[in-house]
Amino acid sequence: MTYEEKLAAFAERVEAGGKVETEDWMPDDYRRGVLKFVEMHANSEIMGALPERECLPSAPSLRRKMSLAAKIQDEVGHAQLLYRVAEDLGKSRHAMYEDLVTGKSKFHNVFHYPVRHWGDVAVIGWLIDGAALVTQAALRDSSYAPYARVLKRICAEEQLHLRHGEDITLELASGTDRQRWMFQDALERWWLPIIHFFGPRSNVEKDLLLRWKVKTRTNEDLRQEFLDRYVPKVLELGFTFPTPAPVRQGDHWVVREEEIDWQPLEAIKRNQGPETERRLAWRRRMYDEHRWVREAMAEPVVHAA
Amino acid sequence: MEVYEVFRRHGHKDPFEHCGAVIAPDPDMALIMAKECFLRRGEGEHLWVARRSDIHSFKDESLLEPTGDKSYRFASGYRDVIHKREKALARVRELSGGGAA
Repeated sequence: MTYEEKLAAFAERVEAGGKVETEDWMPDDYRRGVLKFVEMHANSEIMGALPERECLPSAPSLRRKMSLAAKIQDEVGHAQLLYRVAEDLGKSRHAMYEDLVTGKSKFHNVFHYPVRHWGDVAVIGWLIDGAALVTQAALRDSSYAPYARVLKRICAEEQLHLRHGEDITLELASGTDRQRWMFQDALERWWLPIIHFFGPRSNVEKDLLLRWKVKTRTNEDLRQEFLDRYVPKVLELGFTFPTPAPVRQGDHWVVREEEIDWQPLEAIKRNQGPETERRLAWRRRMYDEHRWVREAMAEPVVHAA
Repeated sequence: MEVYEVFRRHGHKDPFEHCGAVIAPDPDMALIMAKECFLRRGEGEHLWVARRSDIHSFKDESLLEPTGDKSYRFASGYRDVIHKREKALARVRELSGGGAA
């Protein structure tokens, strides 16, 4: 078979809902696209552990501190699962880590922002994990089967994180004026980044990952599902949205596209977000300081006589 | 002859799962036998075999037990959502002056 014939057969298979395994033949564009996508997801999980890690000292009780620490461990675990999937596509973990800490590869926009207090944990755990769950649940149908399988486990854990985030939110919502302010304040800072999280409108013609069914739904479709699901819940708790505030349109909650300021996202794409440099520097330092751990772990056990 | 453990998978969405073992002189024969034994009626679409001697497990299974109360790792650690939501809604009513404050 010529390359063109292989390509046509591959496209046909994927179009019909067929799945791709690591050992299958795949076009270079597909391999590169999936690798970049999964690598970015892995980077986001490991960088996503940092903002919440910074909130650990403000946990209001030992139980809350332990449950947040467990969630952070889960996120780091997701990164390990995803780096493993990406590695099988031909890039070493070391190279991926190197590209992350030197700013060559990217991670998700929401992890470039600062955290201020315990209200941030509620918004991150409930709304950002909620947004992530909407996108990741859709990816369980991805054409790249090893990724789809890992996402099953990840989504199950994200579901738990959502419960955890909602639990904290409800506690703040039923609490003192100060507690309620904490959620409201965090919501005001995080709302625009959450809207950005789904990305701008997808270009269905140009988006190779959509065409290969690595991604299964458009950005705007996923954002819509998120808004419809969460906006009423937030309003019900008596909180208010900053710009771009959702408005009711028939059966849907929508944000007006002209009200979305995309400038902050553009800066983050160039790795120039408010916390980008500091968090990458932290990762780099951890990577260097823990070198001896990696080296020690790579040695087989030697039993003393 | 050696024992080969057999793993099989349905489609592409599920993980491989252990389904039994066969005795064979080499991996190729183990695969043929595994197919005859464990894929007779479309129970799966993919098959792996691995030498039992290549599979490792904890000698002391007590090492697998959690080291303390980890209930916060389970959904059951965040119960009573309905009750908690009602409490929050009561607080909202109280704030808007419309409830039984």
